[in-house]
Amino acid sequence: MQPTLEQKMWMYEKMVVSRRYEEAIAAAYMEGKSPVFNMANGPVPGEMHLSNGQEPCAVGVCAHLKDEDTVTATHRPHHQAIAKGVDLKRMTSEIFGKANGLGGGRGGHMHLFDDDVNFACSGIIGQGLGPAVGAALSQTMQKKSGIAVAYIGEGAANQGAFHESLNLAAVWNLPVVFIIEDNSWGISVSKQKSTAVEKNSVRAAGYGMPGEYVAGNDPLEIFKVAGEAIERARAGKGPTLLELQTSRLAGHFIGDAEGYRPEGEKDALEADDPITKFRSHLIEQGDATEQEIENIETAAQAQVDEAIAHARASEDPAPEDALTSVFA
Amino acid sequence: MSIDVIIPDDLWEEDNEGVITSWLVSDGATVEVGTLVAEVMVEKIQCEVESPAAGTIKITKEEDDVVNKGDVIAHIEA
Amino acid sequence: MSDTKERKLTIARAMAESVAQYMRKDEKVFVMGEDIGVLGGVYGNTRGLIEEFGEERIRDTPISETAFMGAAVGAAQNGMRPIVELMFVDFFGVCFDQIYNNMAKNIYFSGGNVKVPMVLMTSTGGGYSDGGQHSQCVYGTFAHLPGMKVVAPSNAYDAKGLMNAAIREDSPVVYMYHKGLQGMGWLGTERGATVNTPEEYYEVEIGKASVVREGTDVSIVSLGMGVHHALKAAAELEESGVSAEVVDLRSLVPLDRDTIRASVAKTGRLIVVDEDYHSFGVSGEVIASVVEHDISVLKAAPQRVAFPDVPIPYAKIMEQFCLPNADKIVATYKKMAA
Ligand SMILES: Cc1ncc(C[n+]2csc(CCOP(=O)(O)OP(=O)(O)O)c2C)c(N)n1
Repeated sequence: MQPTLEQKMWMYEKMVVSRRYEEAIAAAYMEGKSPVFNMANGPVPGEMHLSNGQEPCAVGVCAHLKDEDTVTATHRPHHQAIAKGVDLKRMTSEIFGKANGLGGGRGGHMHLFDDDVNFACSGIIGQGLGPAVGAALSQTMQKKSGIAVAYIGEGAANQGAFHESLNLAAVWNLPVVFIIEDNSWGISVSKQKSTAVEKNSVRAAGYGMPGEYVAGNDPLEIFKVAGEAIERARAGKGPTLLELQTSRLAGHFIGDAEGYRPEGEKDALEADDPITKFRSHLIEQGDATEQEIENIETAAQAQVDEAIAHARASEDPAPEDALTSVFA
Repeated sequence: MSIDVIIPDDLWEEDNEGVITSWLVSDGATVEVGTLVAEVMVEKIQCEVESPAAGTIKITKEEDDVVNKGDVIAHIEA
Repeated sequence: MSDTKERKLTIARAMAESVAQYMRKDEKVFVMGEDIGVLGGVYGNTRGLIEEFGEERIRDTPISETAFMGAAVGAAQNGMRPIVELMFVDFFGVCFDQIYNNMAKNIYFSGGNVKVPMVLMTSTGGGYSDGGQHSQCVYGTFAHLPGMKVVAPSNAYDAKGLMNAAIREDSPVVYMYHKGLQGMGWLGTERGATVNTPEEYYEVEIGKASVVREGTDVSIVSLGMGVHHALKAAAELEESGVSAEVVDLRSLVPLDRDTIRASVAKTGRLIVVDEDYHSFGVSGEVIASVVEHDISVLKAAPQRVAFPDVPIPYAKIMEQFCLPNADKIVATYKKMAA
């Protein structure tokens, strides 16, 4: 399955928006946190998990999705949200804790909910797996055509919820695609130290579903394999497990000293940046000219700048708003 | 005789500023050579400052004060 | 000069020191949890342990909480003394069965034949905008369920003494440390938590509260971070001539009802400060211990300054609105005395 030119350019654009977005969020996050790094300070307080390097996993999968399809994302959700089409301004307002944010400032960066495109994320490892199965169940019971994608990190594949959810989706033959973004680290603990198998994709066999490992952090390869899995789901043939090799170019969260990383790992990953590689590919293949690529990049930056400016200019919630929205 | 407690040049790698997050002794306390006297945080990393001498410590920089390598943060009166 | 000799520790250091000292003398003690090895614990409370004791006794776990909590229960029943950490109390949902249905009940089910000598460390508290799955205290949830002792230190001295007592204890102890008291600069540490802490072994008895400030007009009862709010409020009240007593519970299970009652018998007024949710929790229990016992000592209806019954909001302005603080305590007293 090959992407059309339009799909290729869409993927590149979303990858660049995502990266520029993380850069802008990182800059905003550091405001008020230097020289004294206190998480409580600045316009974006709390923890911040960036997705730099993992963009291919977002675009290669979401390129196949429609609004009615559900995505449950992780604590590292920005790339997935952007690729799923979450409103960038409302998302940014949420991250800045503003009244016009997706959740009116109640959720924050780990709790982005956009009902218009059926996107949700969470801060508990493995929490989105069950809800993805449920969204697929709901679509099936309502005889609707939507499918569900559950994103997790490779560390989450050791959670009970992972195994239970795969089994449930399989026995009920539900249209779910489980996506593991394998960046090889769960905070400071390596995949090798935490996981009994080299590739989590082999675990699919235990639940009678196809499983595939995609190496290379390449959006085109991911597009192809994810496309087939999503087609299977849409055709009523049940769930699939995909594990996508990727790279965490940032720390676990901003401020992570990353003392646990082997010497040279970071440099090697940076030298292998998926955006740089995809950019070269597009030009080499004659998919786009240097000028066209630059136009995309300029537009991406403008979109990000606009979202950040929008969030900054937006109103704070009223303190008492904390007490509302507890019940429907 | 008074000996300065100085932020060592090799306490952290880069040349950025740090902040004293905790004094682990009070002003006027008796310290030994090597007593852990303060914690300094650089970005999110915590570094330890030890006393270079035995004696009574006179603290000159407070908690939350921003410090650079080479800064004097206390004196030890031997 | 030796009386001016002191050694202040942060709570993070006090916890790590207690564990290290205990591990040196008792080979049965080991530690497991997420990121407690090379990283030294997200909140610094296992710093230095892997360097000294190695990977055999300081075990980074997969993100498999049901498995390693269950493994801790099994190891404890089998002759070891595990210390197990789950870095945020908010995460317990994924493995709660092993805690409240297994760890907490096996001594009872066995008629006392089985021992479960394990310590479960976890961080509590918010105030730095980490959102509703990284900021809770849920003290009351643990204390409500029978079969586990629950402690929550407010300073390094108690942190070390309670940890020593917890490791020696043959029943499971849930050890809840507040992030804002750990001495991690990036969480904006409360200074009053970093106090003089002896190097030699000592214990703080589990189940004994401490009167950390004496007073005659009102008893402010709290735990963890709330104790520091209470002390600040007491200092402020003093300026308007009000003498506030502050009781640091230190343990929730067993709860030192005698100390609470004695304090309120003296002052006649009770304010409970709790960063946990308002209803069905610690604050209600503390009040009940007094009113069930002797209502005649009360000069005013007891009050609580607790987190409203809503999930913890992310936006700073909303979270701070919900959290207890010294001003709220002072205002509560003023209303009570009016
Ligand atoms: C149930 C639960 N346990 C532990 C954590 C703490 N935690 C947050 S992120 C993380 C590592 C996750 O690793 P992985 O799933 O590989 O995702 P990545 O961070 O690499 O994107 C851990 C242990 C949590 N949030 N929830």
